[in-house]
Amino acid sequence: MKRMRGTKVLAMGMALAMAAMSLAGCSGGGGASKGGATNLSFGIWDEKQRPVMEAMAQAYEKTHENVKIEIQLTPYKGGEYWTKLEAAATGGTAPDVFWINVLHAEDYYDGGILLDLNDYLKKSDLDLEKNFPEALVKAYNFEDKQIAVPKDFDTNALWYNKDIFDKAGVAYPTDDWTFDDLAKACKDLKAAGLDSGAYPFACPIDFQTWYYPTVYANGGWVLNADKTETGYNDPKTQEGIQCWIDLIKEGYSPSANALSETSADAMFEGGQLAMVLAGSYMTPEYTSNDAINTKINLVEFPEFNGKEPNIINGLGYAVFSGSKNKDAAADFALWLGSEEAMKIQGESGVVISARNDAQKYFADSNKDLNLAAYTNHSGEANPLPVCKSVAELYDVEAEALKAAYSGDKTLADVCSQLKTDADAILAKNKK
Amino acid sequence: MQGTTRKKIAKRQWKEWGEGYLFIAPLLLGIFVFYIFPFIQNFWFSFNEVNKFNVATFYGLNNYIEMCKDKELWSALGNTLLYVGITVPVGLMLSLFVAALLNTKIRGTSFYRTIYFLPSVTMSAAVAMVWKWIYNEQYGLLNAAMKAGGFSPHGWITDPRTALFMVMIVGIWGTVGYNMIILLAGMQGISRSYYEAASVDGASGICQFFKITVPMLSPTIFFVMITSVIGGFQVFDTIYMMIGKANTAYRSTQTLVMIFYRNAFDYGHKGYAAAISILIFSIIMLVTVIQMIGQKKWVNYD
Repeated sequence: MKRMRGTKVLAMGMALAMAAMSLAGCSGGGGASKGGATNLSFGIWDEKQRPVMEAMAQAYEKTHENVKIEIQLTPYKGGEYWTKLEAAATGGTAPDVFWINVLHAEDYYDGGILLDLNDYLKKSDLDLEKNFPEALVKAYNFEDKQIAVPKDFDTNALWYNKDIFDKAGVAYPTDDWTFDDLAKACKDLKAAGLDSGAYPFACPIDFQTWYYPTVYANGGWVLNADKTETGYNDPKTQEGIQCWIDLIKEGYSPSANALSETSADAMFEGGQLAMVLAGSYMTPEYTSNDAINTKINLVEFPEFNGKEPNIINGLGYAVFSGSKNKDAAADFALWLGSEEAMKIQGESGVVISARNDAQKYFADSNKDLNLAAYTNHSGEANPLPVCKSVAELYDVEAEALKAAYSGDKTLADVCSQLKTDADAILAKNKK
Repeated sequence: MQGTTRKKIAKRQWKEWGEGYLFIAPLLLGIFVFYIFPFIQNFWFSFNEVNKFNVATFYGLNNYIEMCKDKELWSALGNTLLYVGITVPVGLMLSLFVAALLNTKIRGTSFYRTIYFLPSVTMSAAVAMVWKWIYNEQYGLLNAAMKAGGFSPHGWITDPRTALFMVMIVGIWGTVGYNMIILLAGMQGISRSYYEAASVDGASGICQFFKITVPMLSPTIFFVMITSVIGGFQVFDTIYMMIGKANTAYRSTQTLVMIFYRNAFDYGHKGYAAAISILIFSIIMLVTVIQMIGQKKWVNYD
């Protein structure tokens, strides 16, 4: 009898605890306004950009006293940011304003979770066409609806380690280098003899920073205009990929195998690479690394086929269509594209501000480095090829190219099979 | 007359039942919301095309038909079966061996128990990172040891021939401690008198282990086996953390749950992913039922 009572008490206690928990859970949600103040949540994924995003939020709060902005950081790695955002959007609790990239824009637009900003843009003095690179504005425009304000952009450049060049007695790279100059420097560096485990260069299987720039500079293509066919079979596309495989074959780069385990960035930061290509977003990481930051510099992406190769990609600020404070959220998103906000972002030196008049701040943020290498030819850069099934497409592409990079199969063979597989994915997801 | 008594009993019973359900309500509610409802929804989703934002459109059996044609899925099933087929017996034998060792009267048993149990309380992400470094072709501990021993270094987790086995080692290492604790508890429940009697009859230690410990422990071994098989079919985190997409051994280390994850969260094919999860569920169910039937032949509940 006594034991029974004990169990009953325990059960009741548990029941109360559960009830309390569910109540607490309910009151935790919402984000309703308190005492007339509007609370906006702002979803981002980069820890390195958190301070500058906070600075921008504070600047906005100063002129908008009734708005409180709360930053929600979810790491990008492993798709965590998107997984959480999709779940939150389904449940109606996504952040009011959040970062978005071109890889997800179309799917999110189709999913109806992005607010159409056209009306807000009409009323505001923010002129996207005049103030931003066309490629970035268009990347966030579907069926004539603007669904995001361009935030920043990234391009690619060639970084080099001065110590390794000095030791080998090879001249530093320059902005007017061509691909042949790069290959020749690799040859000279190798001939001069590098430390054990060190290489002149690295060619991982990386589309955005390595082979897409050369594919497009060579007149090749990846996706056709109506996104129904892939261009892997075009010899021009293949030449733009083959050039990197050749550098591995010559022994100028570690195998793609080795690079999949120890990334090119890690090798460069460990002083094991004389040169590496890197997106502008790598700048803060390189410059904050005490092991290398005093002995590195960068130049423009080497010319290929007489052109300045590059891929431009950028983020945008989007507004959640299910936001309880749509107007306030849209106002904040548009303000993030203003001269004032873009200046704060640019001066931090963490990313290149998308706004034309604010691009210069990135190069100015560090006078010791030739950061203008990233912005000099940004107007000629190609946008990243994207479509709805882009995540799947990049995966099959990278998986297929492994055999070509390792030398197990010829690139032509790999590409013809890849085209069949990739086109099938496009057809399957077109519906 | 008869009717009224039945009614009376029923009333009292209803009250009792009601109270009972009231008491288990908090837990039942939780189970319903977090387990039963998602399971039913998942089953329904497997007959639909579901996009990233959970909008479902009926798709009939097409997800299952696509599954049959998906070569990657079948190779992942092969990898998973290989993983289970090796990690479960090897892991079980190792944990049995360690448990038997720790059941003897040696100094510092609690120290060793803690050491062996440590992997079970360590975050799998941290475990994966450390092992990834150990296996690294250029900077790893394993290759440093190989070099010191005069062997040439090897890309342990980038070579498709070795990668899955390297991951299995981590899997076994991670579960031995937990299984060992359960087996140890079982061993300590065996009465000493059996061993004393066997000793008097002149049975050796090894003979005692196989003739007394193993049969007496069979219910515990069976439990460990069932849970290890289920865990093996659901292997995900260590592989996900250790083998990135760029890894050349990516295809040869994909398991069913990895394919499920990619379809659900990378590609936004949640309907297809639901169908894969139903496949995983059915396989586990089938294997468990077979084990349940098979246990009658060897598990001793006396």
